Amino acid sequence: MYYYIFDLKKCRKRSQIEDIKNYLSLLGIGGEYTFTSTAYNASDLAGQGLSKGYNTIVGIGGDDVANKISTRLCGSQAAMGLIPIDASNDLQQLICVNSWKEGADNLRFRKIEEIKIGKTANGGAFLTQIQFNLSAPIEITIEFKDFLVQAKVKNLMVSNFNNQIKKIGDDFLDIVFESVRPTESAILSRISSVFSKSKAENEESLSLFRARSLRLFTNTQIPLHDSEGNVVGKTPQLIESSDENLRLIIGKMKAN
Amino acid sequence: MENTVDTIIGVNVTLKGNLYNKGSIQVNGNIEGEVKSDENILVGTNASIKGPVIAKVIEVSGEIRGLVEASEKLEITPTGKIYGDINAKILIIKEGATFVGKSLMPANGADIKVPDHISEKPEEKTEPKDKENAADKMGFFTKK
Repeated sequence: MYYYIFDLKKCRKRSQIEDIKNYLSLLGIGGEYTFTSTAYNASDLAGQGLSKGYNTIVGIGGDDVANKISTRLCGSQAAMGLIPIDASNDLQQLICVNSWKEGADNLRFRKIEEIKIGKTANGGAFLTQIQFNLSAPIEITIEFKDFLVQAKVKNLMVSNFNNQIKKIGDDFLDIVFESVRPTESAILSRISSVFSKSKAENEESLSLFRARSLRLFTNTQIPLHDSEGNVVGKTPQLIESSDENLRLIIGKMKAN
Repeated sequence: MENTVDTIIGVNVTLKGNLYNKGSIQVNGNIEGEVKSDENILVGTNASIKGPVIAKVIEVSGEIRGLVEASEKLEITPTGKIYGDINAKILIIKEGATFVGKSLMPANGADIKVPDHISEKPEEKTEPKDKENAADKMGFFTKK
């Protein structure tokens, strides 16, 4: 009943793949094993798993494979498992595991939590967050339902799950950015960095909003990256929390 | 006032429209529109708001041009400026503060009557809950 998708970008060693297969067999949860390729990414393979009637589809890899599988499984009755290899800390916190063995063990206990995922209008998805690797400050406009926000920012993040931010609701995304102060020209910024800024001054530059959906516009087009740095879209972009739930297998010790 | 907030508008950020929040709001930037919270609103020294501000407890260290209504307590700190009418159960104006407008306080601790011209609660945009989170904890953008 288990359909496994190995991300070959993360599982490069044949011995590692064999170790994982052997451990899964030992646990009595072996199944069909598939591998990503240039022809079939994790999303395609998850679709194939669903059409074959599997009720548990497991990604073996990091954030990229998890995000791609989640796009297919969100809204379906099939559960998604994850055996993390080189996954981000936030993803590991989300499923409450620290190693691939713990991930495999969780599959056997099958504790399922229904969660929302973050989605972009171009079909991308993210379980944890979208980051913007800004080399220089950019001007942004974020359109929410009842208001819009304009700022010049040097850091920006849209989060579905971030261990540092306590969520207020499953279907809310957290939008965090660091704005540039009015006097902060490039030269002034360099000079002022000679002196460490006070904590209060840094905190005043931070903004936090919570919303189910937002439209993000920027003065220059910038890519949206997942936690591993993979491009999941470009601005302007509609980013929203999914209407449907993803049935995610989490660690048995995860506090509710 | 509590340090925990659910929505934060940072310095040099402009918000246009109506912001309603069940949880607390901290404003360090500029707002053109109504700001309403079921909890607290903290208006920082660099903040500027043009529009009504409504909450249970409001602390003003920046500038507000519009009606200010606090169902429990309104405090204007020495750097605070209010140009507009205020309506509060408990009012504290510190030395150095600016207040230009009319003040209304309910007799014998009665509840504040909301003026008719203040719009009804807009549909929820950002949601709250008690939390110890967020931007007051630095390190969101720390590269791992």
